[in-house]
Formats: sequence, C-alpha cells, structure tokens
Amino acid sequence: MNNLYLPHLATIEDIYEEAPDVRSFRLVFKDERLRDTFDFKAGQFALYSAFGLGESTFCIASPPTRKGYVQCTFRRTGRVTGGLAEMSIGDVIGFRGPYGNHFPVDDWKGRNMVFIAGGIGLPPVRSLIWNVLDRREDFGNITIVYGARTAADLVYKNELKHWAGMGDVRVVETVDPGGETPDWKGKIGFVPTVLEEAAPSSKDAVAVTCGPPIMIKFVINALGKLGFADGSIYTTLENRMKCGIGKCGRCNVGDIYICKEGPVYTAAEVKRMYNDF
Amino acid sequence: MADKFLKRENLGRLIDSVRNGGARFVAPAIDARQAVYRAISGADEVTWDYILPRNSFKDYLFPQTEVVAEYSIGEGGVEIRGRELSPKDTVVFGSRPCEAASLASLRSVFTWDSVDEFYTAREDKTTVVTVACTNGDEACFCTTVGLSPESVAGSDVMLRETADGDFSVTAITGRGRGFLSAHSAAFEDSGSGSAQKPLFVPEKIEGVDISRIKERLARKEHYDDPVWAGLTRKCIGCGACTFVCPTCHCFDIIDEGTAFEGERRKNWDACQFDSFTLHASGHNPRDAQFKRWRNRFMCKFNFYPNKFNSRGCVGCGRCIRVCPVRLDITEVMEEMSR
Amino acid sequence: MENAVREKAKGLLTSGEVKVVIGWGWNRNGTRTTPVFITRPEDAGRLVWNPLCVNNLSVYLTRKFKDIQALGRPAIVAKGCDIKNIAVLVSEAQVKREDVYIIGVTCDGVVYRQELWKGELTPNIMPTKCHNCDVRNPHIADCVIGDRSGFVPPEAPAGMVFDRIKALDAKESAQRWEFWIKEFSRCVKCYACRQVCSLCYCERCITEKNMPQWIETSAHPRGNLSWNLTRAMHLAGRCTFCGECERACPVNIPLNLVNQKLITVVKDAFDYRSGYDASAHPPMIVFSPEDKENFIK
Ligand SMILES: Cc1cc2nc3c(=O)[nH]c(=O)nc-3n(C[C@H](O)[C@H](O)[C@H](O)COP(=O)(O)OP(=O)(O)OC[C@H]3O[C@@H](n4cnc5c(N)ncnc54)[C@H](O)[C@@H]3O)c2cc1C
Ligand code: SF4
Ligand code: SF4
Ligand code: SF4
Ligand code: SF4
Ligand code: FES
Repeated sequence: MNNLYLPHLATIEDIYEEAPDVRSFRLVFKDERLRDTFDFKAGQFALYSAFGLGESTFCIASPPTRKGYVQCTFRRTGRVTGGLAEMSIGDVIGFRGPYGNHFPVDDWKGRNMVFIAGGIGLPPVRSLIWNVLDRREDFGNITIVYGARTAADLVYKNELKHWAGMGDVRVVETVDPGGETPDWKGKIGFVPTVLEEAAPSSKDAVAVTCGPPIMIKFVINALGKLGFADGSIYTTLENRMKCGIGKCGRCNVGDIYICKEGPVYTAAEVKRMYNDF
Repeated sequence: MADKFLKRENLGRLIDSVRNGGARFVAPAIDARQAVYRAISGADEVTWDYILPRNSFKDYLFPQTEVVAEYSIGEGGVEIRGRELSPKDTVVFGSRPCEAASLASLRSVFTWDSVDEFYTAREDKTTVVTVACTNGDEACFCTTVGLSPESVAGSDVMLRETADGDFSVTAITGRGRGFLSAHSAAFEDSGSGSAQKPLFVPEKIEGVDISRIKERLARKEHYDDPVWAGLTRKCIGCGACTFVCPTCHCFDIIDEGTAFEGERRKNWDACQFDSFTLHASGHNPRDAQFKRWRNRFMCKFNFYPNKFNSRGCVGCGRCIRVCPVRLDITEVMEEMSR
Repeated sequence: MENAVREKAKGLLTSGEVKVVIGWGWNRNGTRTTPVFITRPEDAGRLVWNPLCVNNLSVYLTRKFKDIQALGRPAIVAKGCDIKNIAVLVSEAQVKREDVYIIGVTCDGVVYRQELWKGELTPNIMPTKCHNCDVRNPHIADCVIGDRSGFVPPEAPAGMVFDRIKALDAKESAQRWEFWIKEFSRCVKCYACRQVCSLCYCERCITEKNMPQWIETSAHPRGNLSWNLTRAMHLAGRCTFCGECERACPVNIPLNLVNQKLITVVKDAFDYRSGYDASAHPPMIVFSPEDKENFIK
C-alpha cells in the first residue's frame, strides 16, 4: 500500500546553534539509496517529525545543488519544535517531502537577484542563495538584505560573513532599533526602511522576500517604490499545515491550497488572493 | 424497470448472505435513541424509522480516528511501520440519495494530485445500497442543490419502497449488478406489482440560487462583506456540523504514545475550531468565528465545485438538525443568493 | 408577554441604554427558535418567548464572543435557569453585573429538545430541571416580564435524571464504570458541550494544551474518557444543571447525569448550590473553616 503519511527516517548528522532558540539540523537519510536519489527544488518544504510528539513544517534550507544531505532550521515554539530542540547528533527523526512548488530559478537566468529576509525567514532564502551562488555565472548582481530583532537573533551568522567576503555579493545586515550590540557594524532600522536606503536597482532584477507577514507587506511596498513590478517579487506564504499534500484542508487561502500550489507566490498572485492569511 | 425485488422480511436473508461472504453489513440501527449507521449482524437490529442516520457513512470510509503508522524506539534504533490496510468488503444499506452523492466529493479530495489509499482502499470495497426517501423533514433540501430522492449518483443499488412495504431493486453500477447476482437468493425476480410508495420530495427553497452563490463567492470582495459577521454571530464554534457532514474531510495528524513506542493517527478535525489555523507565532488568519464559518460555506460552494469539480453540499440537512443554535445553512444560502 | 419583551427591548435600544438585545427569534420557517442579536429598535419585533426557547443565551456574554462584545452593552432575555449561569459568571469575575441588563422572563418550563415540540408543553417533554425549578420567577434581573409563577418545586427532586442517577448508584462500581465507558465511547470530540456552555469560558481549554498533551485528542475510548471526566471536574461546584451540554451533544451522551451527580455531591459536602448568589464563590476555589471535609483542616 502506498502510504502518503509514512515518513522517511533521517539521522541528525550535525547540529548548529544559529541564534537563541534557533538551530539547524544537517540530516542524512537512513536509506542509503534515497541519499543519492533525493531531489528537490529551492522553496520546497517538508514535514519533520519527532516521534511521539508529531510533525512540523519547515522549509528545506539547504540548496538542491548540494547532494547527500538536507538541512532545516527551526525555531523552538511548541510541542514538536520543543522536542526536536532536545535532540542530539545521531538521533533519528522523520521526514516527509519534498512538498509544494518552488522558486522558478531557471526562469531567472541572467537576472540580478535581490534577497530580503527577516528573522527566521532566512532559511528558505538560504536554499535559494546557495542555489544561485552554486551557479554564479547564470546570474547578475546579488544583493542580500537581512535583518532581525537583535544582533543575536540573526541566523547563519558565519554564512553572512562568508557571503559578504565573496566580493561579488552585496550583504546589508540590520537589526531593529535597540537590538544592536556595542560592536554592531551593520545598519540599525527595520528591514523595509533599510531596503529602501540600500536601493538595489530594479532593472532586470528579481526580488525574493521571506519573513513575518507584516514585514513582507512593507517590503513589497518598498520594492514597489524601487520600481519592482509585482510579478518580479517572490515570497512564501506559511499557513499552518498538517498533511502538506492537499488533503487535510488546513492551509487554504480561499480555494488556493498553499501546500500544493504554494508556498511560493509572486506579489501579484498574493494581491489577488482572498484576505485569509 | 426494476431488476429485482426485495421482500422486507427477506432483509435477514440478505444480511446473512452478505456476512457469510465475509463482508460487513452496515445499516441504520438505533443507538442511544438515534438512528446511526452501524455494523450489524441481523435484521432485527436494523431500523426503518429514520430520515437520515445521525452520522454519515463516511465513518466507514474515513474513520474519525485511524492509525497511519507505528513507531518504536529501542536498542535497535528508530523504526517506523506504515499501517497496511486491507479493508473488508462493506455493504452500506439504507443510504439516502443525498448522502450517496457525497462519495464523489470525498473521493475528489482524497485523489486529486496524490491518492490517499486510506480512503480509496475502503471506498473501493464498499457497495452502497440506497433506499429512496419516502419520508423527510424540514431540514432536507436536496432539491435546492440539484439532487432529488431519485438521484442515483454514488449508489450501486437503488431501492424503491412499494405501497405494501417491499422494495423494487435496481442495479446502478457494475458493482451493483455483481451484488445482486452474488446475493440472488435474497431477491425475487418479480414483485407484488403493487405501486411504488410516493417519494418525499422537499420543496425547493425559493430564495436560493446556487449559481448566484458561486458568483458571489468568486468575487474577492465578498470576504470583507459585513454580512458574514451578522449571519453567523450565533455560531458557538463547535464541530458538530462538520462531523456529521458527509463531505467534510478535514483532519489532523497527531502522535500518541511514549518516547519508546506509539502511533501516528489521522483524526477528524474541523475548520470551526478556533485553533484550526492558529500559527505557532500566535497569528491566526481566521481569528473570528464568522471567518471560520465563512470558510465552511466557501468550502461547500466554492472550493469543492471550483477546485475539485465536485459537489460540496448534498442537501442532507444534517448540519441544520445537529446545530445547537440552529444555524441553518439554507438561510445563509438564501442571503448569499442576493 | 412576548410583546412586553419586545417593548422592553425596543425601549432599551431606543434610549441607548443597551446596544444589543440578545434573545430568541424564529428560524425562517417559524418552527424553531434560534438566538438573535437585535441592534435596532425596529427589529425588536423579531424577539419571541415560548417553550421552545431552550438555548441558554448567557454563553454569548462570555469573552469568546468578542464581536458581540464589540457591539456594546448588552441586554439579555433570560429564564431563571439561564440567570443562574449569569450569576456564576458574575461571581467568577467574567461579567460585571452592571455591564449587562437582564430582562428576566417568568417561565412555565421549556421543552427538552425542540424536535419534541408538538404544539403543547406537556410534562413528559420537559427536562428534569423544569420539574424541580425554583427560579421560574427570575431571582436576579433588572426587570422581570410575565405573570408570577405559583409553581412550588417538589420536596424531593423528581424527574428522569434523578431516577437514572438512583438506578446507577444502586449498581456495583464496575457496572457503573462500564456504563460510562460505553456512553463516552460514542463521543465524537465535537466539543459542542463545551462550546454551548457559558461556564466553559476558558480561552484556551485544557484539550488544546499540548505541552504536555493532557488529553489525547483522538476520539477513541481512552481520549473520550479523559475529555469527559476532565470537563465534568472543571464544572464541579459551578455547573447549574442548565442542561445545554446534553442538549447540544449530537450523540446523546447523558451529560445531565454527570452534572447532577456532581451537584448533589457538592451540595452534600459543602452545602453549596451554584447560581443563586452572584457574590458567592464556588466552593472548589475557596477554603472555609466551616468546610465539612476533615482533610482540609
Ligand atoms: C511552508 C512552511 C515553512 C515553514 N518553515 C519554517 C522554517 O523553516 N523554520 C521554522 O522555524 N518554522 C517554519 N515554519 C513554521 C513552523 O512550521 C511552526 O513554527 C512549527 O510547526 C511549530 O510547531 P510546534 O509543534 O513546535 O508548535 P505547537 O504550537 O506546539 O504546534 C502544534 C501543532 O501546530 C502546528 N503549527 C503550529 N504553528 C504552525 C505554523 N505556523 N505553521 C505550520 N504548522 C504550525 C504544528 O505542526 C504542530 O503540529 C514553516 C511553516 C510553513 C507552513
Ligand atoms: S453542509 Fe450540511 S446539508 Fe450540506 S452536505 Fe454537509 S451536513 Fe449536509
Ligand atoms: S454552525 Fe452550529 S454546529 Fe456548526 S460550529 Fe456553529 S454552532 Fe456548531
Ligand atoms: S428550569 Fe425553570 S426557568 Fe428554566 S426553563 Fe425550566 S421552568 Fe423555566
Ligand atoms: S457534545 Fe457530546 S460528542 Fe461532542 S464532545 Fe461533548 S460529549 Fe463528545
Ligand atoms: S496542509 Fe493539508 S491541505 Fe494543505
């Protein structure tokens, strides 16, 4: 019987502390064949389970261009994430996926890329950033604008440094006013404002933004001011999900099932949706 | 023309024949002063005195709670085993035409894009024997949603009661024909010749226009129409309506057990519950009861027809009968037809 | 009497003393009553009062109904038994007495379930609460509408619920357990009992707390038992026997038996009956040197 709800088993190969209450797992499938064949695209998500506690939805934060493992980054918020946070290297969790649509990376060949993320919104964008960097010659200028409430809350601190040091990537980091430390070198201000100041050109450019709903709203406005058309702005909608495969009836916005037709949408598509997210 | 006839007193023979063949016989029986679908073992358990059983027979295709996998964590590491389903052949006897029509709806959800075999494996083994309605109540409104007591959609076999209390029997599907021949000993080739008992045909509700409803729901602006809050203010947000509804399909996936072993279950859930769409952050896209009720209504008259190309509401009226505050979906339909 | 209710509602709305009147009205076909929320004086004619007015509307005074609160100060049409719940809400600081205008209606009883109505109120279709009612003349109200009832409740409580409790009490505990396991096994976890109950006002019910998972959410016998027993315990000493949970239960679980049994236990142990005094505090949350329980002292 083909059981849609049966997860794969994956071993936690490494754990990275990203920020207070936020950590990443590097996962390898127990099934060796699956390690080689598992394929996904940037923007897709999966259901990760702590057995006995349940399943939680996280995006796949590693890029599809890196094979043999998947990474996820999660914030401890409740029952399942609490259980996952207690786990150690070598422990085994469940993994169902990949699910959902993806960023149309291939359509963006030759374009300039602008990535804007807030807080725990960086993981899905990270997959995409590495995906683009691994095919650097296919893309033009790359700008990353990333902010969090405080300097401590920034995730992937080392990678941000790495990207900034690459020479051909512009990284703008910011923290909300009051969130800076004495040695903070980045900007101070909310992501949408900092984005406007950084003013990446909208010419031949695609913008991708993830973060809290309220941030996304203002980022889309700011991008509009910078001349980005709604069709060139991409984001992800993170409604609550259970099945991830269009059966459980939980993630819908009007008649759109986010788990199947999403989570990736253009701003133009989001604006056409029912006011239900 | 009827294919066969069934004498009322021969129901027992039919039940025996079905059960001897290893199948389960589900029919309305009285439990706690209500008619409910139950697996029964003899004709004396079956009740004829019902309009619609309290529960929908979806209980037998999509159970309220079911194990989909089992896990164990021990010396040898973590093990997860999917539940293998080998459902019994099941005969649902005494369905009504409205309810039978809902099968296509459930199937459309459980098979679009990917196939949930926990549903299809059971449905594929189910024979639906419908008895056309000769009585009803004011909550019945099949005719308003384009069905009638004569609708055959979803039924494998249709029974029509005759004036002297027996039934003329018509096979609708191949499975139905197979059923009649497999249990031919229970049926007669010719009937008493007495006339058919008149059917109960609910009057079409005048103010309701399904195509107008669809049109109105398709317009995004209706979401913010203040009429919703007023129409559904009395809703107390229980799940009674969704749990008795033959087309409601929402579920939750949960783990139950210890750190060593346990099971993963698929449990009915209801869009009427306030935590249904609550995010971990505290944000809730449907943070008021009217938004949740609007979703249920949208599901019936917009999502099902648009997305799954099937019927969201079959007019069985169960949600009306069961609602503790008598929130009548047809009154909302009427308002939404304006 | 119905007209007097309408006039009162109209007056209150016209003067602006209240912004909404919560009462009963007819459904479209005029066959069943249903809660209505009257906000305009000209709609007061929709209000009705008759033996089909079973709903205990006090649930709409609780915090769950934010959009009703947003309408402004409410008046509520209430039977004596409904007022008991309001009294508990006031005593538990859920509602301020002065924040609600109570239009009390004198009452000769209602039907147990609206489906039973055949045009006449006969004792056999009335719930046990009505047979023993000592609040047919509302005990707490801002105005009372209707002729005084001369009904005197029987000395010893009578009615189906008491008969069935007696029968159950006479059984062995193993049999009683079996009875309840069977009854609760039908539960579908629709939570209609909780949602319809004005005293189940927790904004986060224990069933929704998952850290840890106190009550298994599955509707299997184990999960049902823990749900039904927990709910009963949370209402001990508070439940007024209004019967709404049993009426709402789609699978006919005799919740009134649980409720009345607990009421009797609390009465015997603490000499307390909830719903009569808005300034009293439920015995399960106060300590008093007069408590009969020795273990407390
Ligand atoms: C497409 C998508 C991608 C996501 N990506 C990430 C990510 O990369 N990193 C991250 O930290 N978080 C992500 N989230 C949010 C994350 O799923 C929730 O924070 C998490 O499920 C909370 O689980 P919990 O059991 O610890 O919380 P509890 O509050 O105990 O939740 C109980 C149940 O509710 C569900 N739930 C609660 N909130 C949400 C929510 N917002 N979305 C979905 N299910 C929810 C959980 O699945 C769980 O079964 C994503 C959500 C979606 C829909
Ligand atoms: S919405 Fe109500 S009337 Fe329609 S199918 Fe469901 S229960 Fe029946
Ligand atoms: S419509 Fe009725 S049955 Fe459905 S959730 Fe609301 S109160 Fe409950
Ligand atoms: S308990 Fe008393 S007040 Fe309540 S409905 Fe019965 S008779 Fe009326
Ligand atoms: S109303 Fe009845 S079926 Fe529903 S949760 Fe309560 S006891 Fe269970
Ligand atoms: S998550 Fe179940 S339908 Fe989308």
